[in-house]
Amino acid sequence: MQIKVKCSCGEGKCPEWAIVELQGAVEAQPSFQNCVENLQIGILCRPSSEESYTFTVGYHELMGAKQSLKKPILVLKKVKVDDEGEVELDVIGVIRHKILFKTRPKALISRAQPVLKPKINAPASLLN
Amino acid sequence: MSKGEWDMDILHPQTARSAGAEALLGLQPSSSISITYHSLFGPHDDLMLLELDDKLLPEILQQRVTLRGQPDEDAVLCTASKTYAVKFVGTSNSVFLIPPSDEVSGSCNNKDDDNMMAASILKVAPGCMELVEVAPKLDELKLLLSQNPYSFIEASEMDTSEEGEKTGMGLYRWQDLVERIQASDEELKLGLQSLSAVEINGCWRILDDNYTHAILNMLLQDVTLNDWSVNALDEDEVLSVLEADGFPRNIAKHCLQVYCSKVDEGVGVSYKWKLDERLVCVCLAREILKGGKMKHEIFMEKWTRKLPDGMCASFDMLEGEVLTEKLGVETWLYSFSVSSLPSTPAERFSILFQQRPKWEWKDLRPYVRDLKVPGLTSEALLLKYTRRTQPTVEAEPVFSAR
Repeated sequence: MQIKVKCSCGEGKCPEWAIVELQGAVEAQPSFQNCVENLQIGILCRPSSEESYTFTVGYHELMGAKQSLKKPILVLKKVKVDDEGEVELDVIGVIRHKILFKTRPKALISRAQPVLKPKINAPASLLN
Repeated sequence: MSKGEWDMDILHPQTARSAGAEALLGLQPSSSISITYHSLFGPHDDLMLLELDDKLLPEILQQRVTLRGQPDEDAVLCTASKTYAVKFVGTSNSVFLIPPSDEVSGSCNNKDDDNMMAASILKVAPGCMELVEVAPKLDELKLLLSQNPYSFIEASEMDTSEEGEKTGMGLYRWQDLVERIQASDEELKLGLQSLSAVEINGCWRILDDNYTHAILNMLLQDVTLNDWSVNALDEDEVLSVLEADGFPRNIAKHCLQVYCSKVDEGVGVSYKWKLDERLVCVCLAREILKGGKMKHEIFMEKWTRKLPDGMCASFDMLEGEVLTEKLGVETWLYSFSVSSLPSTPAERFSILFQQRPKWEWKDLRPYVRDLKVPGLTSEALLLKYTRRTQPTVEAEPVFSAR
C-alpha cells in the first residue's frame, strides 16, 4: 500500500501553525466539558520585548518562552481520494515555533483581583 | 444545552477577533491574546504531526514523498532516494495546535477593535511522528521475485503465445513492487539491479539459475565459435546470434547488461560490450558448485576450462561466493553466496555463525561488508553481533557469536 504525501499550498507557501505547550492537562469544569467550543482558556501575555510569556488560566499563571523548533513539524491531514478508501496525506501547515510553558503554575493572590476579575469566571482550570 | 445570556457573553468570546497562529507568533511586547478553544475543537484524528528535517521539505513540496507498507507492517516514509521509519512519539504535555486564522472556519471578521484578539486551539496533539533513516527492506523483493523466476519452459511458451500481457502468480509490475516493498524508488531500482532482474512483458523477473547459466554458456560458446573479442562484442551481432540460438532478444540484451559493460565507442552504429571477467567467472563457479562440495583441484580445472580465450579466473574472485574447508590433506569448496543471505544484520550473523562457529576476518569480511545500517559503522556492527578473540597480538582475530 502506498499513501502519497502532498502539499497543495504550493511553492513553500504552507501556512504557519503554532503550538502552545504546557505540562499537565487543561480541563474544563464539568458543566462545560461537552461544549468547550469557543470557550476561553486563558490569556497569553508578552510582558516585555523579550520572547517570554505568561499564560493566565483561572487562578494560575504559567511562565514560558517562545522557542524555534530544531526541526519543523508538518501538519498533515488525511484526505480520502476515492470511495475505495484510498487516502492521501495533505500538508496543510508547518510549525516552526512553539510557546512552551514548562513551569509549575503559580497561584495568583487575591490582591490582584480587580485585574483578574474576568478570568476568575473563566471555566477552565489547570490540573497539573 | 442552553445557557443563560450572561454566561454566553462572558464565557464565549465570540466578539473577540479570531486571529490565529500568526497573531500569536507575532504578538507585540506589552500585549495579550486570548487563548480559546476553536469553534471546531475536537479530536481531529485526521490531523497528524510529522517532524522532519529541513532538508526533506523540498521533497515534500515536490510531491515526491510517500508512506509505504502493508497493513501488518510499520509504515515507512520514502523520499525519492531514502527510506525512513516513522515513529510515533507521545507526550504527556498538552500540545495545543493553533491554526492560522483563515484555516478551517475563517475569521469572524469582527471589526470591533476594543475586543482582545484570540488564538483558537483546534486540537490537543497526543504526540508527533518522527523519522529515523533505515535500510530499505529489499529481502522482501528477493522473496517476491523468487516465487516465479523466468525459466526455459516459460521462454518456450512465449514463442507460441501472442498475448504476453498476463498477471499470473508471483508476477509483479513496478507499481506492484512499489506498493509491496518498503524502499524508496531509487533503492528499489538498485535492488532490482543487484538481483539482475529484468522487465519482461511489464513484469519484473529474475531468471532461474538453469536459464541464466544456459544463456551465459551459449554466449561464451558463441564468442569462441565466432572468434569474437571478449572486450568488444558487437551488440547487434550478439543479439541476432543468441536469438538464432533460441533466446528471446530482450533476454539476450539483458544478458549483455548483466555480464558486460558498455564500451564507449564514438558514434555507435551498434554498441560494443566488454565481458566482465569477474561476473562471468562467478556465475560459472556457481554453476559448477551447484551439485555440492568439490575438491579444489577438480573445481579449478572445470572452472578454467569453461572460460573463453582472453579471460582468466582467479580464486580471489570468489570472495563472498565460496567457502573452503580442509578435510585431511584435501581442500574442498562449496558454494555459500553472500547474495543468498538476509540483509538484516541480526539474521545475517545468525546464519553466518550457524554455518561456521568461528570466522577469521579475511573469510568473514566478504560476508558482512555489504551490511549497512544508517548511523552504525561496520565496526559498531561487529561489536554488536560478534565476539572478537585474538589469542596473541600477532594472531589473526577470530569472530564468534555473542
